[in-house]
Amino acid sequence: MAEAPKLTEEQAKALQEKLKNMPPEELERLQRENCIFCKIIHGEMQTRKIYEDDVCLVTLDIAPASKGHLLIIPKEHYSIMPQVPDRVLAYICVIAKRFSQIVLRTLKVSGTNIFIANGSVAGQRAQHFLLHLIPRKEGDKVLDLQEKIINQEMVENVKIAVEDKLFQLMGVKKPESKTENLPRIQEPAEMEQEEGSKPEKKISTRKKTPILKKSPSVEIVNEEPAKEKQPEEEEANLNDIANLFR
Amino acid sequence: MNLTSQCEYCEILRKEKNILASSSDAVVAVRDKVVTPGQITIFPKEHYPIMEMVPEEVLQQCAILANKVSIAVFESLSSQGTNILVRNGLGAGQDVAHFGIEIIPRKEGDGLNFDWKPRQLMEDEIEMVHTTLLEAVEESRSSPKKEEKRDDKKEIKIVEGKENYLLKSIKRIP
Repeated sequence: MAEAPKLTEEQAKALQEKLKNMPPEELERLQRENCIFCKIIHGEMQTRKIYEDDVCLVTLDIAPASKGHLLIIPKEHYSIMPQVPDRVLAYICVIAKRFSQIVLRTLKVSGTNIFIANGSVAGQRAQHFLLHLIPRKEGDKVLDLQEKIINQEMVENVKIAVEDKLFQLMGVKKPESKTENLPRIQEPAEMEQEEGSKPEKKISTRKKTPILKKSPSVEIVNEEPAKEKQPEEEEANLNDIANLFR
Repeated sequence: MNLTSQCEYCEILRKEKNILASSSDAVVAVRDKVVTPGQITIFPKEHYPIMEMVPEEVLQQCAILANKVSIAVFESLSSQGTNILVRNGLGAGQDVAHFGIEIIPRKEGDGLNFDWKPRQLMEDEIEMVHTTLLEAVEESRSSPKKEEKRDDKKEIKIVEGKENYLLKSIKRIP
């Protein structure tokens, strides 16, 4: 594997050419081999793991914004969020909710942030999509964002700029009337195709029993209303947090 | 006096103002209070103050919408990235008592800074947090199941086409 430390111009060109002509699977394999989070997932790198199932791994961040800062990492290598299938993203958000509950209950904090940096300008450091769950306390100066008021014209401009693309992605037609007939999600043929065209990859080879309650898939496929599986003892605590708003 | 009467998001829903799109349980809207123009918010139609109260299937809908909005923002506002943010609880900077996901478009040199200074923690502090969280996960696995009471209207309707694709995609979770 060891490459010469410095490449001549010719060698660099040849390497670039090689990368360009590399079959996608090969390129993907190369990407994974160099991905720190793939290494963590495959146990090739030490981490303070909290939880693991077939889809994702939860670990403490090594450069935490606060005590208990968690990373929720899909096992599959997706560089950026648009590559993440809806089902995986939905699952990861449910895991984030469960861990937010755990963090609020056990670490005596007064809030949590879910944070995703998508793209390097947005602060994404590694080429492996992941979700941050950050325990928060008032005045801790984490994600301290200044907000401003924009006028109605600006609001309209944003709507107009984004709506066509959004409706296309949602698989809906633009409504005739602005307000009465809001678009609703229908069967997006587009999404089905997208998912069907790529061979589905297994997320993990080793089966692991989920540590948390049943995965959401099981709950919903049962054709019964999904049930919240968290114990109720934390209710008081969560209500307290919700009540702060009143 | 109703709790939802003072809620900015419930107000948006009631007035049907500045709404971009909606699904059966969630709404995509443009707020006038933003970190940067182009910011878009996704929230459940039902008034849930914090994430822990949002039923899982509603949260999943919000997440799927967030991904679509993020892609739409990428392509139509010529942004080079997005930040996805949930401020959950007062301590986390939540200013509307109604759960929501914010999609913030990013550009080179936009002056925004979401970076944090890594907290220097002592080895034993890290060890303690690790143990505490591991124990909490273990506890949540071994505690007896309790079924939460749910409103009938929030049941997933299997028959309706518009729900089906969500279910189908969820079923594919291994």
